[in-house]
Amino acid sequence: MQIQILYFGLLADRIGLSSETMDLTRSLNVSEFRQILLNKYPFLGGEKFKIAINQQLAAEEMDIPLQAEIACLPPFAGG
Amino acid sequence: MKKEHKRKKVLVHGPISPQFVADSIAKHQSKTDIGAHSLFLGQIRADQKSEGLVTGIDYSAYEPMAEEVFHRIREAAFQKYDLTCMHLYHSLGLVPVGMISLFVFVSSAHRRAAIEAVDFIVEQIKKDVPVFGKELVGEADQYVWKENK
Repeated sequence: MQIQILYFGLLADRIGLSSETMDLTRSLNVSEFRQILLNKYPFLGGEKFKIAINQQLAAEEMDIPLQAEIACLPPFAGG
Repeated sequence: MKKEHKRKKVLVHGPISPQFVADSIAKHQSKTDIGAHSLFLGQIRADQKSEGLVTGIDYSAYEPMAEEVFHRIREAAFQKYDLTCMHLYHSLGLVPVGMISLFVFVSSAHRRAAIEAVDFIVEQIKKDVPVFGKELVGEADQYVWKENK
């Protein structure tokens, strides 16, 4: 299955991409996805970020559905 | 349960001008059930960082989610307080030091609801809306990523 990943702010800056697609060989929960991301981009290890699935903040144990849009969100700075 | 209010776009490009704020206030002169307006204006501060002085903030957002969260905050404030109307604007893109990046404008029959609602709305925006800020510092294209405390 394929997921669309969006990066914002500091994360887009460090990775050098604002989006990418990832092929998954099995379904994952958010925590497993986070680990895959940290393996791919080890320099993100010290960064805090939240993960939203289809525009909703997702808990770590939540399963990622098919065709999901995953957004990786660094600390908010509105205001 | 009060009815859901019309969705309004909150994110605007660039700084929010003082003239826009003044015009927004003027538009309420015909709404004679209003007895109190409360406004919050967020202005870009020239903080001193180790890299240099902040000269502006370049805002970006996960726009569809940000608009959805702004809408939820608006609905929550209408539920919680007895308000006549509410207008929210937040900048995207570059906002130089001294300019306005957030405009929260709430009106009610009596002052208490409007004053308390503005505080609630600003706190929720800072905590929950996926907006990101790159603080530009010094003169050599340096920057640091802002984080709300």
